[in-house]
Amino acid sequence: MPARPSRFPAWFIAFACAALLLAACQSQGGESGSPGASASAGGTESAAASVNEPNELTVLEWSGYEDPAYWTDFQTASPDTAVDFEFGISDADILSLMEGGSEADIFHFYTGWQQFYVDEGLVQEIDTSKLTNWDKVPDSFKKLGQVDGKQYFLPWDWGFTSILYNTDHVDGEIESWDALFDDTYAGHLSMWDDGPAAVTVSSYIHGWDETAITDAQLAQAEAEWKAQKPLNLHYWTGEYTDFCPEVQSGDIWVAYAWQGCYADTLYKESQPVAYANPTEGRNSWVGLYGISSQTESYQLALKFLDDKLAATSCGNAVTNFYYGCVNQEVMDAVTDPVLIQAFGIDDPSILATTNFTPPVTQAQRDAWTAMWARVKAE
Amino acid sequence: MLGRRGSLWFLAVPPYLWLLLLFVVPLGVVAAISLLPGSGRINFGAGWPSLNHYREVLDTPAYLRRLGISVGMAFVIAAAATVLAYPIAYFLAFRARQRATVFLILLLVPFASSYLLRVMAWKLLLGREGAVNWVLTSLGLIQEPAGLLVYSQAAVVITLIYVWIPFAALPIYAALQRVHPSHLEAAADLGAGPWTRFGRITIPMSLPGALATFSMVFIPTVGEYVTPSLVGGTGGLMYGNLIQDFFTRAGNWPLGSAMAVLMLLAVLVLVVVALRLVDLRRVAA
Amino acid sequence: MTAVARASRQGSAIGVGRTRVPLGLVYALMIVFLYLPIAVLFVFSFSTNTTLSFPIEGYTTDWYAAIFRNAQLLTAARNSLVVGFLAATVATGLGLAVSIAVVRFRFIGRGLLLALAGAPLVVPFIMLAVALFLLFNLLDVPRSMFTIAAGHSVIALPYATLILLSRLVGLDPAIEDAAMDLGASYPATLRRVVLPLLGPSLLSAWLTCFIVSFDEVALAVFLAGGDQTFPVFLYGQLRFAQTLPVMIAMAVLLMLGTVTLTLVAFFIRSRSE
Repeated sequence: MPARPSRFPAWFIAFACAALLLAACQSQGGESGSPGASASAGGTESAAASVNEPNELTVLEWSGYEDPAYWTDFQTASPDTAVDFEFGISDADILSLMEGGSEADIFHFYTGWQQFYVDEGLVQEIDTSKLTNWDKVPDSFKKLGQVDGKQYFLPWDWGFTSILYNTDHVDGEIESWDALFDDTYAGHLSMWDDGPAAVTVSSYIHGWDETAITDAQLAQAEAEWKAQKPLNLHYWTGEYTDFCPEVQSGDIWVAYAWQGCYADTLYKESQPVAYANPTEGRNSWVGLYGISSQTESYQLALKFLDDKLAATSCGNAVTNFYYGCVNQEVMDAVTDPVLIQAFGIDDPSILATTNFTPPVTQAQRDAWTAMWARVKAE
Repeated sequence: MLGRRGSLWFLAVPPYLWLLLLFVVPLGVVAAISLLPGSGRINFGAGWPSLNHYREVLDTPAYLRRLGISVGMAFVIAAAATVLAYPIAYFLAFRARQRATVFLILLLVPFASSYLLRVMAWKLLLGREGAVNWVLTSLGLIQEPAGLLVYSQAAVVITLIYVWIPFAALPIYAALQRVHPSHLEAAADLGAGPWTRFGRITIPMSLPGALATFSMVFIPTVGEYVTPSLVGGTGGLMYGNLIQDFFTRAGNWPLGSAMAVLMLLAVLVLVVVALRLVDLRRVAA
Repeated sequence: MTAVARASRQGSAIGVGRTRVPLGLVYALMIVFLYLPIAVLFVFSFSTNTTLSFPIEGYTTDWYAAIFRNAQLLTAARNSLVVGFLAATVATGLGLAVSIAVVRFRFIGRGLLLALAGAPLVVPFIMLAVALFLLFNLLDVPRSMFTIAAGHSVIALPYATLILLSRLVGLDPAIEDAAMDLGASYPATLRRVVLPLLGPSLLSAWLTCFIVSFDEVALAVFLAGGDQTFPVFLYGQLRFAQTLPVMIAMAVLLMLGTVTLTLVAFFIRSRSE
């Protein structure tokens, strides 16, 4: 054995034993790692099967969503069910974890990545006839969870992307996405650090078909974003770590933004801000839940997702994160004037002109992320 | 009773095994991934091995330029951190003496809180309403508060030097402990003044520590990405950011792996060249 | 007048004269710069603000109270401490073994061992994370805090090795020879003679390894089973607007906790001497 420090022999050994015991006894959700767990065949199962399902669920979630507030209805309805969480911190992580054999029954990711899960057989169809809250979800959101006409995913949270701007520093209203390229705001612009987002913005400005970007169009976008680069204060990555604080201190005047910071700034009244309704239309993204094709608890998973759509669980996302909830009744019941303004609840024309992010293919993702890497490396 | 030579087995074998299993083998896995033709799910079937991704990296001058810039920045940061850490290490070795451990703990402990939060706190201090602007405007040096003083390549270099100094002091401090009072007294008796003693005895004896420090700072800094993403803005990006993006945003592990392997090779070449220039055995004697 | 008497008159037995270089000032400046952001975080952990911005609207201890009501936060913090402790201990132990082997012995593969021990420095954490993830998958090793700790021990090993190596190089082997001449076995010599002499370097190495593990995210995401470590949890919480102050309070608490633990350990040791 390599010589261990004998500096604090008793102390170290005691703590080491305590630490190992703690870790071993209390570690939850560790994978059992046994291969060949009987996989349920893709597709729905009869209600009788639910009697034989293990009364536990594992959910692969974004860190932060495991809080009981966001599944409280399920917790109340099924208090005996053990719900364990695994975590990812990005869409790429979550896909990797599922591909790598995560035993999660349910997983959560954001628009753009649907095709990958379907292509690799990681997900099974959702039997919407079993969902009691399904009719509260508008069709436009339901469609976002469909691939090849099949309802593979359940939408849950959503939000806008548009241009957030400081009205003290911007004359008039911002009417187009090309404000992000306007050198009037040099040094006070901020674009989100994401290649596909950049391509999306370019496609709005030039009226391109987002699902069929040609090489020439991509090259043009690359050149434009390279020219835009010095106008940014920086590319932001974390909404409340390096973006919103700078909006609220008046350092960022015009930016690609989700509605969360808009709502937060309205609440704090730190800067006069507005959220654009560009002529090209806002963008919207949706959070989707999928049920693993390998799950043994299909009925339970359905119940979990159904309960997540319920008013309290879904509504907590609205009040806590300033995200939207697909349950239309929840959105209609919002009374907070700041949230009404942030979501444009009073103005249905906004949602009508909003462009929802379509699924992206492997080839597109590779090309667009490589384009952005070249822009950043320049 | 275990002899001296026999103990060698217990000393050398466990680290070898540990590193073999948890480092060498995974590295092999990564190298294998970098040779995948495409970017999708890991599948070593058709088309493997392929140099596609290596070609892509080598064909993009911007990536290689970033690698060169990152190496240059890392060199400057490592050199500055080593030099600036020296007085701290000296203080710990010769001034603090018995209480050195406490002083050392005080140096390292801020790092046991979140780096992200500390950088956010610094951005507040350097921001429009922060302490620096407040001082400058109170002194009348500037009329209006300047904008955010971060987001540049210089900010990355300064921040990394600042962050590395406490750790850089450790190997130097460790090495300085071999300087005995008797050495210096003997030199003093022979007429050497304080600076001569410092230059002829202290520095040479602490050289292994300084070299260890330089390597310890230089090598990981080439692939650094956290600090550039927090304070680099659009101009302070480093090669590590590109690797990170390909892994965590694009989900393109093969390309990310290829970029990382190229960086590894670049650093390896530099280390080998440096070792030729510096004869380690002479230094350690 | 003897050298010793002369030196003690100058107030310093070794090194540069105290009056010439204000080293204490350099150290103090470093401490100020290191603790300035901590002080900011400390102040804001008691403010009612939910963002890091002035003016400070009011004062409260609610955030600290909220920590103890938040089960996930406490679990994440506990996990980080356990993982850090395990990783640091393994890394320091292995680093010690490598240093002793490389400095005191000659054997085939000596250079390779040193190179291997230092090599994790050059590998980006995300790459090792992905690689270990695939490896553990392949071997059907369940992911848990132990797998995270294993990964962390690898990335921390170079730091431990470099620190201990620097110290060991300056340690006169004659001391060990003397002990063995007096009849001690080699392991006993290591334990009773070498280790105490390495003292503060062992602590530096251990603390450095702990810190490397503590704030690390990439390995902690890919190698975790169902438990998050604190930085992963923090990263997730910071995606939302109102969770910042509790996180700040926790970060301050963890730092203070680490200080206290290490100082307590240090005083126990010095008292036992």
